[in-house]
Order: sequence, then C-alpha cells, then structure tokens
Amino acid sequence: MQIPYNEELRPDTGLYNAKLGIWIFLASEIMLFGGLFSAYIMLRVGAPVWPPLGTAQLNIPMATFNTVVLITSSVTMVMAWASLKMNNFGKFKMYMGLTLLFSAMFLVVKYFEYSAKLSHGFTPAHDTFLAIYYTMTGLHVIHIIGGMIVNGYLWMPGSKMWESNPVRFTNRIEVAGLYWHFVDLVWIFLFPSLYLL
Amino acid sequence: MSHDDIQHHVKTYIKVFMALMFFTLLTVYASYVDFDLAPELKAGAIFVGLFIATVKGTLVATQFMHLNNEKKIIYWVLGLTIVFFTVCLSIPVLWDSNLVGDTNFEQSPPKIEGGHH
Repeated sequence: MQIPYNEELRPDTGLYNAKLGIWIFLASEIMLFGGLFSAYIMLRVGAPVWPPLGTAQLNIPMATFNTVVLITSSVTMVMAWASLKMNNFGKFKMYMGLTLLFSAMFLVVKYFEYSAKLSHGFTPAHDTFLAIYYTMTGLHVIHIIGGMIVNGYLWMPGSKMWESNPVRFTNRIEVAGLYWHFVDLVWIFLFPSLYLL
Repeated sequence: MSHDDIQHHVKTYIKVFMALMFFTLLTVYASYVDFDLAPELKAGAIFVGLFIATVKGTLVATQFMHLNNEKKIIYWVLGLTIVFFTVCLSIPVLWDSNLVGDTNFEQSPPKIEGGHH
C-alpha cells in the first residue's frame, strides 16, 4: 500500500505527513524533557545547599567543547539538507558524514566525563544533584545515539533513495534534521543549567 | 524553494553558527561574573545564563528548524505544547511554598551558598 503525502503536500495542512509527524513527536519530547527540567527546579529550590556539599565537580571545559561540537553538528546537518535542495549529493554525503563524526566526538567526550565521575564513586545514588545530572544527560545521550542510528542509515544504505525518489529522500533528511536540531536545543539549556549555574 | 533561496539560507546558517559560538563563550564567561543581585539564590547568574540560552535556542528554532516561516498547524501544535509545558513547569515552582527539603516543618533552614561546581 502506498503511504500518501510522502512528497506532495496535504491540502489541509500544507505539509507532507512526515513533517507534521515529527513536530508532534518533538512536542512530546518537549514534555519529556520539560518534566525533567521541572524536577531539576524542584530539587534545586528544595535543597538548602545547591549543588550539595561533597558532590562532584563538573568539567566545564569538556562541556563547553561538547557544546561547540553539538552546535557544529547542527550546522552540518542543515547544510546536508541544503546540499540536497541544491541537487549536490556529494556535498550531502560530506556534511552528513561530518554530522556523524561530530556526534561520535560528543559521545567520546561524554564517555570520559562519565568515567571520571564514576571512578571516584560519584554515581547517581551519591546525591540529588548527580541523580538529576545523570538522568538528564543520560536521556540526552540516548537521543544522540538514536539520532546517529537514523543519520547513519540515511548516510549509507538509506541514501540509495536519492536515485529513485529524490524529493522523498530530501524530506527524510529534513525530518531527521529537525530531530537533530531539537537534540542540540535541549543541550543548549542543559549546559548552563547543570554545568554553569 | 529556488537554488538562490537555498544559497541565501546557507549564508544565514553560517552567520547563525558564528552567533551561536559567540553566545556559547559568553555563557561561560557570564557564569564567572558575580552579578550579586541575590547571592544566596544566584538569581542574577541564573537569569543571565538562561537568557543567553533562550537567545541561542531561538536562533536554532527559527533558523535551523525554520520556525520563522512555518505552517499554521505547527505553530498550533507548539503553542499547545508550550501551554502544557508552562503548567508542568509552574506546578513545582509554585509548590516551593510547601516544605520540600525542609527537615523542620515549622522553621525553614537558611539557604547556604553552594560552591561553583
């Protein structure tokens, strides 16, 4: 069965179906992370001392580097989409490859950050600050991994669609890009909330 | 969208990228500045930090996610989400008037300034 409105726009919404779908999904993601930000505020205002005494020192230079990396990956992602819009498949491959590279860099830095904490006994059970830190950044890391799986598929095997159906493939990249920018957006708020304030 | 339109967008993406880098460094710098409005709450630092984050978030949402020029139904979906998010965020903040974190329910312990982590 042919799924309708993959390429052409629905007359009632003015969008192809996947675009409306991803925005509804992102709305649910706002509520998911919103709930955690809400929990963070509750823990923070309820604590006599914040961060709790004796908790781990978070690594600001590492987190700043990761912020730069993730923002750069967001730019390469949007450039990958723009390359397809300009019928330049070679540039798409390059930008999407860079997006994946920056995503992997983010995860490597996060691995070193987590392992440094855990090796000193700073587990999520140590205190409320670390509990919410691991929950929020861990959920964000899961989103990064999810995005990498989708982007990796679209970069390699999924890119064959460009030959058979370029409009639909470009739409797929746009949808994957919207998700990726959202993941970047979440980090933009996580970074000052957890590391700087 | 024409080829020229996309090329115009690409120029905007580069400008936004540079602005995001600048604001990232500004956020880090601002976290070391003592705004001293309400030291026990770090109110000045929180306001400045979240204000810069909001500016960055707005740039990503409007330029990279193209929310500056989107269909009405998407604004409706997001508008509804913001309403629910605000409710979700407000309940615990308003709930602060209860005694979460207090050990003595009659007398609240004083807030103590925590170290920079």
